[in-house]
Amino acid sequence: MVLSFKSWVANEGGKHFVLILWLGANTWLFLRTFLTYSTGQQYYYLYKMLGLGLCISRASASVLNLNCSLVLLPMCRSLLTCLRGTHTLSSRGTRRLLDKSKTFHVACGIAICIFSVVHVSAHLVNVVNFSAFYSEDLPALNLARYLGEDPRMIILTTVPGITGVLLVVILFLMFTASSYCIRLSNYEIFWYTHNLFIVFYIILMVHMVGGALKYQTNVDTHPPGCLRPNQSSPELQGEELEPGNEERRCKEEARFHPHYPQTWMWVSGPLCLYCAERFYRYIRSSDPVTIVTVIRHPSEVIEVRMLKGDFKAHPGQYIVLNCPGVSSFENHPFTLTTCPTEEKETFGVHMRVVGDWTERFTELLLPKTGVELEILPMVQQRRYPKLYVDGPFGSSSQEVFNYEVSLCVAGGIGVTPFACVLHALLDGWKQFRLRRLYFVWVCRELQSFYWFSELLCALHHKLWQENRPDYLNLKLFVSQTEDLQSMSEEKYRPLSSRLSIGRPRWKLLFDEISNANRQKHVGVFCCGPKGISRTLHKLCNSGRYTGVTFEFNKESFS
Amino acid sequence: MGKIEWAMWANEQALAAGLILLTGGIVGVAGLFRGWEFAAYSIAAGVFVCLLEYPRGKKNKGTSVERTGQYCFTVCVKAFGPLTRNYYVRAFIHAALAVPAGFMLATVLGCVCLGIASLIYLGAAISGEQWEPILPRTETRKAVGESIKQPPQNPPPRPPAEMRRKRAEDLEGAAYDNPIKVSTNEE
Repeated sequence: MVLSFKSWVANEGGKHFVLILWLGANTWLFLRTFLTYSTGQQYYYLYKMLGLGLCISRASASVLNLNCSLVLLPMCRSLLTCLRGTHTLSSRGTRRLLDKSKTFHVACGIAICIFSVVHVSAHLVNVVNFSAFYSEDLPALNLARYLGEDPRMIILTTVPGITGVLLVVILFLMFTASSYCIRLSNYEIFWYTHNLFIVFYIILMVHMVGGALKYQTNVDTHPPGCLRPNQSSPELQGEELEPGNEERRCKEEARFHPHYPQTWMWVSGPLCLYCAERFYRYIRSSDPVTIVTVIRHPSEVIEVRMLKGDFKAHPGQYIVLNCPGVSSFENHPFTLTTCPTEEKETFGVHMRVVGDWTERFTELLLPKTGVELEILPMVQQRRYPKLYVDGPFGSSSQEVFNYEVSLCVAGGIGVTPFACVLHALLDGWKQFRLRRLYFVWVCRELQSFYWFSELLCALHHKLWQENRPDYLNLKLFVSQTEDLQSMSEEKYRPLSSRLSIGRPRWKLLFDEISNANRQKHVGVFCCGPKGISRTLHKLCNSGRYTGVTFEFNKESFS
Repeated sequence: MGKIEWAMWANEQALAAGLILLTGGIVGVAGLFRGWEFAAYSIAAGVFVCLLEYPRGKKNKGTSVERTGQYCFTVCVKAFGPLTRNYYVRAFIHAALAVPAGFMLATVLGCVCLGIASLIYLGAAISGEQWEPILPRTETRKAVGESIKQPPQNPPPRPPAEMRRKRAEDLEGAAYDNPIKVSTNEE
C-alpha cells in the first residue's frame, strides 16, 4: 500500500513529534550530565579515580529522574479526562495525543528499565574502582574504607547500596509482571506488583542520602591538579622555578561535600499529583450505585442500568465497576451505553459474560432462567449486590461528534461506545458538528444485532422523518457464513435490508466514503478485534484517496 | 477471584533472570575481573535457564499465547518428562543454579533475580500447578458424508404439468398454493 505523506502526518505526526521531543530531552540530559562529570573542575579527582563509570552512572541517573517523574503523568486518568473535556486542549490533534497516554507510560517504563541496567552496571564498576584505587591522599572522597575492600561489602553497608538493591528487586518484579501475557491472563499479579510503585518512589527519594559521590567545594583555592607544598612538578625538575609556578601551588587541601539529593525535586510533584488523583477517585467512587434494571440479551450479554447521584458523563466514556460481592479488589472497565441526560438520570452498561468475574456478577444479578428477555423491575423483592462505580473516564470515541464525517467500525461487543453516541444523536443531532455518520457493525451471529436493534431502528426512523436520510449510513455484517440467518421481524426492516453476509470489504467502503465526502476530514473510530483495527489503520495511512484525509482513532482499554 | 497462575509469572522472571545472568557473566569474563570463573559458570547457567524457560506452559483456562518459535524448545523440554513438568524440581534447580553466581559482583544481580523466580516457582508448585506443553491441535476433519446433508430423495411437491401451465381463460384455476409465503417488497 502506498504510504502518502499527508495521510501519514495527519495520523501519525503528532505522536511521533512527542516521541522525538521526549527522546531529545533524554539525550540532552544524558549528554549534559556526562559532560559535567567528565570535564567539570569539581569532579576532577573523582573522575580520575572512577573514570568513565562515574559519568555514565550520573548521566543515566539524571535520565532516570526525568523518566520516573514523567511515567506517572499519563496515569492520572481523571486529569486527562478533564483535559479532554474542557477546551484547554482546543485542537483536535492535541486531544488525539491523549489517546496514546498508555503508550507513553510504557515507553517511559521501558526507558526506566534500560537506564536502570546502565546505571547499575556503571555503579558496579564504580564500586570496584573505589575499592581498587583507594588512595591515602583522598580518604574523604572514597566510598571504600580501605584498599581492596570487598565491593559487595561496600554495597551492603551503605545507604545507596542497600536502597539500590531494593529498587532493582522491585523494578524486576514490576517489569516481569507487566508483559502482555500476564496482563491478559492474571491481571491481579500485574495490578498488585504495579502498586509497589509507592514503595519504589519512597526508596528512590532516600537513595542518595549518605552521598556516595562527592564534589569538590573549594575549587578556587585548590585548583584541581595543583601541586602540593612538598611536591615538585615532574616537568620542571632541573629547571629554575618560574614566577608563574606560584599559582600552581595549592593554597589548601581539597575539600569534598556529598551531593544534595535531587530526586525528590523531580519526582515529588507528579507523585503528589497521582496520589491526589487516586484519593479523589476513591472518594468519588465510595458511594454505591443503585441498580435499577437488569436485562438479559441474546449472545450472553446483560445490560445493567444504574442510578447515581451527581453523575455526569459524555458519550464514549467508560466507567470502572467494582462489586465487593464478587471480588473486593478487582476493577473492570465497561463502556457506557447510555449516559445520564436531563430527562433520564439512569446510565447503563452492556457487558458480555465471558470470564469468571462477569459470570459471578450475572449470577448475583439474575436467577438462572431460560427466558431470554427478562426484565426485573425494582419493585420486586430482589437484593442486588452492592456496586461501586469509578469514572467516567475519557476515551477516543468522544471525538465522533467533532468531525463532519465519521466512520464508526464496531466488532461484536465493541459497539458499546457507539451505542452511546447513537443514543445521544437520538436525543438531538443538530447541535453537533457531525453531519454524516457511517456505522459498520460486524458480528459473528445474527442474534447479536438484537442488542441495539430498537435503538438503530428508532434513530433511522427519526432521521428519515426529519428529512436527513443521508445522516446515518448503516452497514451490518454477519461474519459467520455457515447458517443462513435473517431478521424476519417487520419492525427491523431497516436493519435486515442493510445486512450483508460475510466480512466487510474495507477498501470498497473507504472508496465509497471518499467519493461521497470530498475535501473532508473523516474520523475513523474502531472498537473491535486487532485484525480489523490494523487493516483500518493501514488504509487510513495509505493516502490513496485524494482530497480526503482519514484520521484513525482506536479505542483501547488500559 | 479465580485462581491465579503463579507459574506464568515465575516463567517470565526466570527468563529475565537467565538473561541477566548471561549479561553479567559476559561482562565478568570480558573484563577478567576477580572471580571470573564464576562469571563463566553463570554464562552457562544463564543459557541453560533461558533454554529451559523459553517455552511457555499451557494455561489451565483460556487460550495460551506462545512465544515465537517455541515449538522445538517445547519438544525438548517435554522430553524430560516429570523433571520439567514438576515445579518443585524447577524451583530447586533454579535455587541451586543461582547460588554460585552470588560469589561474583557482576553476576550477583542475576543470582538475586533467579532466587526470586525460584521462590515463585515454589509457590506455584505448592498450589498444585504443573507445566503442560502447548502442542498444536490436530484438526479433526469431519467425515465428508456427515457435513453434506442428505440430498433429497424426492422432487418437491408440485401439481402436474398441465395444471402448472398458465391458462389465459382460467387464471384463478391455474393458481396454486406456494409453500413459502411471497410478499411484495414494500418501500
